[in-house]
Amino acid sequence: MKKKVKDIQEILEAEVLSGEDKLEAEVKYVGAADMMSDILALAKPGMIVLTGYTHPQVIRTALVTDLLGLVVVRGKYVPPETIELAQQNNLLLMRTKNFMYSSCGKLYALELQGIDERKF
Amino acid sequence: MKENSKLSKYASIFEDIKASDIMASKVVALTADKKIAHAKEMMKIKKISGIPVIDDKKKLVGMISIEDIINALEFNRINEPIRNIMTQKVVAIGLSETLSEIVDKFENYKFGRFPVVDDQCRIQGIISKEDILHGIIEKFNLIYIHDKKRSATLNSESSIITGEQLKIDEAEFHYNIETNDIGKAGTGAMLLKKFLKEKKFNDEIVRRVGVATYESEANVVIHSRGGGDIYGFIDEDRIIVRVLDNGVGIEDLDKAMKEGYSTAPDYVRELGFGAGMGIPNMKRFSDKLVILSEKNVGTHVEMIFYLPSQTTP
Repeated sequence: MKKKVKDIQEILEAEVLSGEDKLEAEVKYVGAADMMSDILALAKPGMIVLTGYTHPQVIRTALVTDLLGLVVVRGKYVPPETIELAQQNNLLLMRTKNFMYSSCGKLYALELQGIDERKF
Repeated sequence: MKENSKLSKYASIFEDIKASDIMASKVVALTADKKIAHAKEMMKIKKISGIPVIDDKKKLVGMISIEDIINALEFNRINEPIRNIMTQKVVAIGLSETLSEIVDKFENYKFGRFPVVDDQCRIQGIISKEDILHGIIEKFNLIYIHDKKRSATLNSESSIITGEQLKIDEAEFHYNIETNDIGKAGTGAMLLKKFLKEKKFNDEIVRRVGVATYESEANVVIHSRGGGDIYGFIDEDRIIVRVLDNGVGIEDLDKAMKEGYSTAPDYVRELGFGAGMGIPNMKRFSDKLVILSEKNVGTHVEMIFYLPSQTTP
């Protein structure tokens, strides 16, 4: 069954920091990474990435790789520059209090698989 | 070097390749006391046509070839020790011999493979013609031009890859990376991406250019200590990106090509970089990549991205 950003937002009880209009968008792929280079290497366009990284750099990485959006885990502080850069580019940016592991688990239970498993 | 040989002609382009770069380092070798029948079985199983013979200190003492085996079979000597029939006058290649020297050996002595030895004549590897071919193919994606050639290539305005004229002042896109602030890395790549999007290039290629340029830009910011430049050129069938800096250079490009190898300082790693994926990602997302680098002089990256024919604007 198709999953929307809204489904992710609800199950993670995530707050939307930028890109509110993307809530109805379909989520094709989900991943999790803290290393920017890993995102650059493995991300797919239209993917949502969970991360513990909050520097504005993560927004640039997301934009360069055409991600659908990012979810910051563990309720981490997100600097205003990061939120601003996301808003300027209308990139979806959410934040959940769940830790990385539990966030991934909850999404996996929603039948959202990783890019290594999903049949294209 | 024979000028009429195609192999030696290409060897001059790839003369920086050393024996140690292309040799197969897993060598099947036998000691001289083993039976010839043993060598015959080894050749059959491993599908090889010659085996180096070594002593107990791994020192090369001879070679046994498939011809030697045929002779031994003919004269019913197959159960004798290898030492009785092996060739003792062996032509070996030194670890640091260059591709052109290696090719010369292949042409002068018509052997199918040569053992590679260190300065104490201990076996380190073996090189067949296929290994040469693989070495060359590997370098096609990545030509590391050493000091003496570098300045000549850098000062010319032609593409390193295609030899075509590429005037920097005629670049369609230019971004000056003037900062060492890792937090700003990727700004140039984003602008280039935006520029290409406006030109209506297809999403896939724009994304590839973006990622590869981003990695290259991050390298300039992390390593160059002094900024650099990104140039974008648009041709009928391709996008060419050049990233130039006058920084510290890459000391060991072969290592830098390996995923997971990084010389980035800890503060950079804390920012999510320095995973050792930079150059591998540049290679992954570009169609052609050339890196010229010299320690303490700078690095010059050229990447080509071929446009899918139907989407050429």
